[in-house]
This record gives sequence, structure tokens and C-alpha cells, in this order.
Amino acid sequence: MEFDLNRLKKRPSWPFETIAVALAFSPRLEGVLAEAKHLSSSLGASLLLIHVGAKTPTKEERLDKLMTKLGLDPNHVRVIWMEGDPVNAILRLCKLNVVDLLIIGALQKENIFQHYLGSVARMISRKAKCSVLLLTDPTADTKKPKKIVVNGADNPKTIHTINTALYLSKHFDVREITVVKELHLPELTMSMGDERSAPEARQMKREILEEEEGHLKDVVDQCKKDNVNIELKSIKGKPGYAISKYARDKKADLLIINSPDTNLTLLDRIFTHDIEYVLADLPCNVLIVHSRV
Amino acid sequence: MPKFTHNDLFSLLLAIGIMLILARLISELGKRFRLPIVMGELLVGILLGPSVFGSLDHNLYITVFPQAGTTAKVALDGITSLAVIMLLFVAGMEVQLQIMLKQGKTAIYTSFTSMIIPFALGFCAVWFVPQWFSYEPDHKLVYALFFGTAMAISAIPVIVKILMDLNIYKTRVGQIVMAAAIFDDLTGWLLFSLILSLMGKQGEITSVWYSVGMILGFGLFMLLIGRRIIDRALPWVQTKLSWPGGVLSLALGLCFLSASFTESIGLHAILGAFIMGIAFGDSVHLNERAREIILQFVTNIFAPLFFVSLGLKVNFIQNFDITLVGLVLFLAVVCKLAGASLGAYMGGLSRREAIAVGFGLNARGAMEIILGTLALEAGLIDEKMFVALVIMALITSLISGPLMKRFTDAAP
Repeated sequence: MEFDLNRLKKRPSWPFETIAVALAFSPRLEGVLAEAKHLSSSLGASLLLIHVGAKTPTKEERLDKLMTKLGLDPNHVRVIWMEGDPVNAILRLCKLNVVDLLIIGALQKENIFQHYLGSVARMISRKAKCSVLLLTDPTADTKKPKKIVVNGADNPKTIHTINTALYLSKHFDVREITVVKELHLPELTMSMGDERSAPEARQMKREILEEEEGHLKDVVDQCKKDNVNIELKSIKGKPGYAISKYARDKKADLLIINSPDTNLTLLDRIFTHDIEYVLADLPCNVLIVHSRV
Repeated sequence: MPKFTHNDLFSLLLAIGIMLILARLISELGKRFRLPIVMGELLVGILLGPSVFGSLDHNLYITVFPQAGTTAKVALDGITSLAVIMLLFVAGMEVQLQIMLKQGKTAIYTSFTSMIIPFALGFCAVWFVPQWFSYEPDHKLVYALFFGTAMAISAIPVIVKILMDLNIYKTRVGQIVMAAAIFDDLTGWLLFSLILSLMGKQGEITSVWYSVGMILGFGLFMLLIGRRIIDRALPWVQTKLSWPGGVLSLALGLCFLSASFTESIGLHAILGAFIMGIAFGDSVHLNERAREIILQFVTNIFAPLFFVSLGLKVNFIQNFDITLVGLVLFLAVVCKLAGASLGAYMGGLSRREAIAVGFGLNARGAMEIILGTLALEAGLIDEKMFVALVIMALITSLISGPLMKRFTDAAP
């Protein structure tokens, strides 16, 4: 079946009207389903459950039981069973069904082989054309996120990512979110070398910091904040790594970042940068916002 | 066994003191006219060396500066060799692979063409018009490979400075120039290490493959495994050991160990230093202050000694060949401009932006001078070619900024 790509193009990153869940029938299935149910009912979204693998009576029975336990109405929840390559199948189904958000359980950290080969959750995160929520510790006892950290990178996608964070904040009654700007300035150190005096170097650093913070403030000013307070925070460090560490140190419940700008390959995992630092060691639940613009 | 005498120590210390102070004074004066620091350092070397001071008062000159055959000269040469190794380590630290990986199609096209076209044109110039150049008949292939590399290499520090001064570092053009410069320097230095390891092994295919294998093996080991080990060790070093002594000792210690390893397996020491620099500089745990301290230590103490010493070694006036200088400069500018601009244009930039990228990558700076020095010391090029390369490096560094500005100002 062919799908119409125009249905996806320019579709805003929020609201989440269709939420899909990638089911793995692991011990964490109940937690993932519970979190998905909580999110879909809070946001008024329709739910689509996808399993790529053999459809066996045992699996069907387990899923039916869980849906009943969690109060998921089989008449309002679509379940798709499919066989084939999990990554490609899930991505294709998400496109076909114009999924806005895909929820998937993910290990916080993978072993070195899984890391380089790429697990299903990570591969989907790199390639998905919709937003992806990676749940590191899904539990049946769902809680609203309280601390949300958002990526404030100098990127056209950032405004959509912040707006998506605000959309979620309003639905979950989060009063404050932190938008983090990562400042990595080795080039500034290089350009100083021995060619600038100390006051010149300080002045130049100050100007760059002010300029970067000014850009972010302009972006935030354009967002639909309503009653949500946005705290702006500048941190030093490599993009991806610094925000991941910040979210972990602050014990954030949710880290929201932009989707990757380019197709990520094995090279990007070997010479880790940006989102790959986050995927290498998830600091908390991570929402990767695909803005589609 | 020759001893390091009281006179040798006096001569060495006097020379180093004069070199450092004069280099700083002249360079600071040059800064007022927006001239690069390296230009001042080279000028001091020319003034203090056989070109000027030596011809004015030869007796005083040989009293002040250590001469061949003395242990003081051996010691000074040792210090300048250390300086080259440290400069290559810092050059490696400036290679930020993620910039290269983050850019898309335009950067890939620009990187390849800005490397391959100048390299191919430089190689062909030597291969098909050998009468323009002077080399040992046995060395035609390595000479052609070297000249191609000399045409292809860029200078990340100069380029960063130009982009920051023009306030275009973060723009698309700026990031493409950076990505291509990183690619050019990375491949250029790997290639140059291969060329140096091939010196004296003409026609030995097994040696060629041995060198290629060792370079790739060492590079991959350091970038895949060594880099992770450093990344694990750095937080401990930066928090548990004295600051900044701990990180400085670790950085330079690893640099020298790596350089000695590559030297011991038949590759040049610069390769070890360069690759270790990449691995060290890439760590997420290396804080900016530590990076700055390492950079300041090398660029303010060892770089001046190295660049001033060039003027002491070579008579720039006697070896100035206007035809050769013109030829090298013409080839360098045309090859780089054509290669880089073509790639950028094919990658989707406008014509003016593509030309701006070409001029940005045209700056050769200190890297070209280091390349020329190593080739001169290896006996691959003569002093006339060395002088031509130095002048080309200075002129391309000086013209890149203004020409790039002209084209970025008008670019849409």
C-alpha cells in the first residue's frame, strides 16, 4: 500500500492526534502500555498498537489481558500485527497511519555491541519521521512529568520543539520548563591562540555568549507560553552530552530534544555527537520532536 | 662522547631568550597592522639568521646562535623538533570530527573536491612538467605526492580566526568551510605521514602497504579505543590531580608517547602526535580552560621557537626564487579555489558563496610551513621550494579574509 507523503509534510509537531506504541512483549510491556494509555487519554489522542513479529495465541492472550487490566477499549484501540524487519515495518506503519508520536521502551544504556549495531529503539529514534518517546523505566503506576528539560539549540526546529514542550506542559499541568542552551566554544579558544589580549578575549567571549542567549530568548518570545514559565539556562559543554548530563543531574522526568538534521550512520556513533550522546546513555525519558518543517 | 659544556648552555639559553622576546615584540607590532603572529616570528628568524644578521656581523652571529657541530645546536634542534610535535598535537586537538559529520551533501562535495582537485593538479604539475621543479630523480613519485599534498592542505587555526573575525563561523558557508578544512587537514597529514615513511623506500611495494596498514591501524585504534580510554581518564585527572599541571602532563605525556610509538614503527612522530591530538581534543570531559592552557603553552613558547628557528636554518634572501614563488602561489590559489568552489557549487551553494568557500579554504598558514619544514628536513625539497612554500602560506593567509569578506558580503 502506498501512502501520501503530502499528508505528513508540514504537519505540525503538535497536537499528538495519533499515538502509536511499539510492542515488544518484554517484561516492561505493561509499563509501556500504561504510559501510552495515560498519555493518549490526557491528550485525547487515538491509540495504535504495533507488534512486528509472529502473532501467536500466547501473545494475543497476554495483550488482551493487559488491555482489559488497563481499561483499554479494544473497539477504540487498533492493534496491528506484522512480520518483517522491525525498524522498517514500524517506520512504514507510522507513515501510513500518520502517527504523530511513537512510544517505545528503551534500555537506559546498551552494551557496546548493541550500541554500534543499533537496537530497534535507537534505530527508530534516528530514522523516524514522527516524534518518538523513549521510555527508560515505564511503570504501570504512571505519574505526570514534573521537571521538563528542553533543548534550546540554535536550529530552526527548536521553536517547534519548545512549542511541543509547552503543549505537553499545559496538558500535564507543568508550571515551569527549563530550556537549555549548550555552549561549546573550542573554536573560540582556537581563534584566540596567541593573537588576542586578555581583555579582547573576554570581550569576544562575552559578546558570543550574549548573542547566543539573545537568539534563544527571541525564539522563546515567539512561543505560545500561556501560564507556563520558561527558565532559560546556558551550560557549557559538547552539544548532546551537556544537556544529557544536565537532565540527569537535575533529575528531570523528561528531556525533549530536536530530531536529527541528517541521516545518522555508524560513523556518527563512533565519533559521537549531538543526539547520539543522548541515545548512548538516556538520562531519563526522552522525547525526540520531529517538526516536519 | 661530546659533553654539553658551560658555553653550550650559555649559547642555548641566550639564543632562546632572544628568539622568544624578539618574536613577541615584532609579532605584537605586526598585530597593529593586522598581520598574523607567525609572520612576525618568521621575520625575526630572517633578521636573526644568516639572511641578515649573519651577513652583517658573522662573528657576533656565530657567538650568539649555536652553529652546526656544537652540542648547543643539537639541543636547539631537539627543542624545535619537540615544538613541531606539539604543534601537530594542537593541530589534532583542533580537528572536530563532529563538525564534518554534521554537515550534509554540500560539505561532503566541498571536502572531497577541495582535497582531490588541488592534490591531483599539484601531482600532475610535478609529473608532467618536471622542469619547473627541482628534486632527486629517484624521488619523483614522492615529490609529486608531496607537492599535491602541499596544494591540498588547509590551516584550521587561520580559517577559524578568519570566520570568527567575519562573524560567519556559524553560518552555512562558515560551517562548510570548517568541515572541508577538517577533512583536508586530516587526509593531508595522513598522506604526508605516508610520504615521509616512503622516503628511501622507492619501489618497495611491501613497504608502501606496510606504511598504509600501520597508519590506518594506528589511526583506527586511537580513534576507536584510545579515544574512549582518554575520555574515561580525563575526569579523574582533572578533578584528582593538581590543576592545571595534571591535565597538562597527561596531554603532553600522551602526545610524546604516541609520537615515539609511531616513530618506532617506521612512521613519522608527527602522525602519533596528530592522531593523539584528535583523540584528546575530542573528549567531552576536556574542559575549555584546559584546552586553552595547552594551546597557550604550545603557541606562545614552542611555536615562536620553531618559526624563528626556520629563519636561522635557511637563508631566505639567497633562496628566494621569484619564478618559483610565483608558480607555487599561482598553483596553490588556483587549485584550491577551483576545487573548493566547484564542490560547494555542486553541493548547492550560489556562485558567490562557492567562491567565498574557495577563498576561505585557500588559507594555508602555519600548517603549510610545518609541512615544508618536515619535507626540507627529510631531504625531499630544497631550500628554494621551502622558501616558496613559506611565502605562499603567508600570502594565502593574508588574502583569504578580505577576499572571503568580499564574496560573503554580496552573497544572497
